[in-house]
Amino acid sequence: MNAPEKVIPDPTSASLAPAGDAPRSRTANARGPLRSFTAVVVFLLAWQFLVPLVHVPDYVLPLPSIIAQRFVETFTLQVANLAVTGMTTLAGLAIALVAGVLLALLVVYVEGVKSVVMPFLAAFNSIPKIAIAPLFVIWFGLGAESKILLAFLLALFPIFVNSMTGLGEIEPDILDLSRLAGGSPYRVFTMVRLMHATPYITDALKVAFPLALVGSIVGEFIGGNRGIGQLILAAQFNLDTPLVFAALLSITVFTTAGIWIITLFERRFLKWRPSQRSR
Amino acid sequence: MRRRVSIALEIADVHKTFGTLVAVEHASFAVEANEFVSIVGPSGCGKSTLLRMVAGLVAPAGGRIRVAGREVTGPIRDVGMVFQAPVLLPWRTTLANILFVADVAGKTTAEHRERALQLMALAGLSGFEHAYPHELSGGMQQRAAICRALLLNPPLILMDEPFGALDVMTRERMGFELQKIWAASRNTVLFVTHSISEAVLLSDTIVVMTPRPGRIQDIVKVDLPRPRDVSVLEHPRFIELSARVRGGIGMGSETGSHAKVVSDPAALAQ
Repeated sequence: MNAPEKVIPDPTSASLAPAGDAPRSRTANARGPLRSFTAVVVFLLAWQFLVPLVHVPDYVLPLPSIIAQRFVETFTLQVANLAVTGMTTLAGLAIALVAGVLLALLVVYVEGVKSVVMPFLAAFNSIPKIAIAPLFVIWFGLGAESKILLAFLLALFPIFVNSMTGLGEIEPDILDLSRLAGGSPYRVFTMVRLMHATPYITDALKVAFPLALVGSIVGEFIGGNRGIGQLILAAQFNLDTPLVFAALLSITVFTTAGIWIITLFERRFLKWRPSQRSR
Repeated sequence: MRRRVSIALEIADVHKTFGTLVAVEHASFAVEANEFVSIVGPSGCGKSTLLRMVAGLVAPAGGRIRVAGREVTGPIRDVGMVFQAPVLLPWRTTLANILFVADVAGKTTAEHRERALQLMALAGLSGFEHAYPHELSGGMQQRAAICRALLLNPPLILMDEPFGALDVMTRERMGFELQKIWAASRNTVLFVTHSISEAVLLSDTIVVMTPRPGRIQDIVKVDLPRPRDVSVLEHPRFIELSARVRGGIGMGSETGSHAKVVSDPAALAQ
């Protein structure tokens, strides 16, 4: 890509904001995470010290300290299983990203494809994928393939729909301008359509990533002997509720990290977006 | 040295219909090189359609359009275009937006950057090179769009109501700004507007159009001396010419003679 595509932080854009604006937004930004952190701490403290007052047994609702202890005890187990689940999730997500964008490209660029493809996709999307998951086990076995397929299918639709909007709904004047300037279809694609679609795709990823994880874990519930889903099932079988919660903690850490990476990308490359302004 | 008079744009018997609606009816006029020509008329008189046909974005149903002697058969090159909306790309900085027309053709050079910076200075946008469009006011955005149209120094510039979306005060100021920017290069301009005073202020020639069917009613030569400043708005000749254009559109005292009977219900619905 050319230089203009790179969003380089520069001192001049900061100076454009009214003088009183910049410091205000900075303090608001600093206060935001602090507030969230405080809320979490207060919640955990309440859980730790108020729940014992009503005598809930550990196998129903373990205390945060017990969950933390179990998490530390089983740390290598958590990491090993998270690696399995994470791999199938990310593989399914990656395939969904490629397939969703390619499918959207086909719909945007080839006239008539949309009316052929859309009824199938709409019908397919109305099937609860979870319900047909056992079928995938029959077809693809108990290995990673059935989990990746499920993760892929759950993640595909939001990525496809958003890519289609992002790549397709370009202001006609911009396309006219590009034509008059002698723009090649390839450059119009990279400089206009893809740039326009990027925030749509990152938004879709924020939805599709947890969905892919759902696919992987449901796949593990149905069959196999590895992954966080299996760890949860095994812990449940032994009535080891602290381990169930510890596994949930692992999943939460994984999802949060994934969303955080997408958000970082948006802050770095999409700072022109309304949602990213004055950050 | 005396400038050679050559025809930059020739519109001969151009006709365009959308279904039963006659958008442009047998329009003919010519634009000399380095001339600033306005097409004035109320909404729906086909002036934007005419402009888009000149750019080759819309094919005429009949007649011929020649730009620099060559017949227009498809989207033409060597033309700058300014739309009613600035249509800047929100992910590009102002400078990058002005360079877009060179970038998308894959031919940006250091000279283009140099020229973009000069144009920005001329348009009063210096210091905003790295600002994003949302950080600019509406008037500044439209000035950036004008800079973009001028970047490749095209022999012909088409402007489709470029100040139509601006507030009245900004709009008046933009008229003078455009005159200043244009005076520096004197590219041939075809300028569509529904503002009579804007047309008289900016133009060498005004093509007056009436709606349904879109028809050329009058062609008015503006002989006011340049550069024209705010005082020209009170010049007796300015008032006289404005009245003539207004009369041509059918809004003046002689309305009756130009009133068209609309027999087509589809046209009424527009």
